[in-house]
Amino acid sequence: MVEPSLVLYGALYEEALRVLEEALRETGARYALLVDRKGFVLAHKEALWAPKPPPLDSLATLAAGNAAATQALAKLLGEARFQEQVLQGERMGLYVDEAGEHALLLLVFDENAPLGKVKLHGKRAAEALARLAEEALAHPPKLHLDTEYREEAKALLDELFN
Amino acid sequence: MSTINFANREINFKIVYYGPGLSGKTTNLKWIYGKIPEGRKGEMVSLATEDERTLFFDFLPLDLGEVKGFKTRFHLYTVPGQVFYNASRKLILRGVDGIVFVADSAPNRLRANAESMRNMRENLAEYGLKVEDLPVVLQVNKRDLPDALPVEMVRAVVDPEGRFPVFEAVATEGKGVFETLKEVSRLVLARVGSGA
Ligand SMILES: Nc1nc2c(ncn2[C@@H]2O[C@H](COP(=O)(O)OP(=O)(O)OP(=O)(O)O)[C@@H](O)[C@H]2O)c(=O)[nH]1
Ligand SMILES: [Mg+2]
Repeated sequence: MVEPSLVLYGALYEEALRVLEEALRETGARYALLVDRKGFVLAHKEALWAPKPPPLDSLATLAAGNAAATQALAKLLGEARFQEQVLQGERMGLYVDEAGEHALLLLVFDENAPLGKVKLHGKRAAEALARLAEEALAHPPKLHLDTEYREEAKALLDELFN
Repeated sequence: MSTINFANREINFKIVYYGPGLSGKTTNLKWIYGKIPEGRKGEMVSLATEDERTLFFDFLPLDLGEVKGFKTRFHLYTVPGQVFYNASRKLILRGVDGIVFVADSAPNRLRANAESMRNMRENLAEYGLKVEDLPVVLQVNKRDLPDALPVEMVRAVVDPEGRFPVFEAVATEGKGVFETLKEVSRLVLARVGSGA
């Protein structure tokens, strides 16, 4: 089971953004991210009123690591999966749900977002995103990166590491 | 399998530092973090115990820059080397594009090196991967130890067929650290578009 590359682009990507945007609107959350299971950000949206988000790379990596550990725990206990996860502090909260097998939905919300709404619309968004991810996997785009890409990249490696 | 984000025109690669406990994996990442200029790196995240042993992973995102219109980035991870953290170690390997195996030159760690390599093979197999199918670079670290074993002896137990490029290192002083990273990056990039 080699991890397939989940590639979102064009209409599917636009649709994913639309789903994230709607999730923000319906829940009152600050940030919405679609992340692959390796912890890479595939798409993200921020509410217009929201302050600058924390580093998204860190957010995505930690959430993906956490989700992977949670899934492993579920398996240990003989469960196929655990439900969505809600982590809540005094002011901030994080909602993490599986968007199918290959992606995760993350919603970062503050105390003004009602938890019931976060859960309800989070679930809906996750389901919609799972369908998009399925579609994307079924039709992977051809990427023509050739020797030119490799040569250029190599030059940059020299620059960065010397 | 690199992650490609067409919309943002990004290509991301995942590189994992593997090896026995205390071999110097985290030290490699810390050195890299310290030397890469601002703007080319993100925050380093370390999930460690109080005595600085890796508990889940270290994470460091690096920006190579723009290549043919694609922002190219490397996500570096370390695994926890301690034997009993295998469940976490396995999770970190998911979706790996390239591996740096950090071996320890100390005589009393020879066996740990061999066991860690065997463990890595087993864990990769769970994802349907073989070591032979992935870019792997061997870093023989702690060359400054007064009783450091000969490189060939370390290599013989982790890579008897001499398949992987080898770099000697003193990670605490940064010796060999960039050389190792550069080689694994080069190997990973070399597979782009070659059908892998
Ligand atoms: N002498 C010497 N010590 C080193 C070298 N590299 C790392 N160390 C030391 O070895 C110890 C362990 O280093 P870490 O980088 O934390 O080891 P690790 O591989 O991340 O260990 P785990 O997280 O348990 O898997 C630290 O005290 C380092 O300072 C080296 O090249 N020479
Ligand atoms: Mg460590």
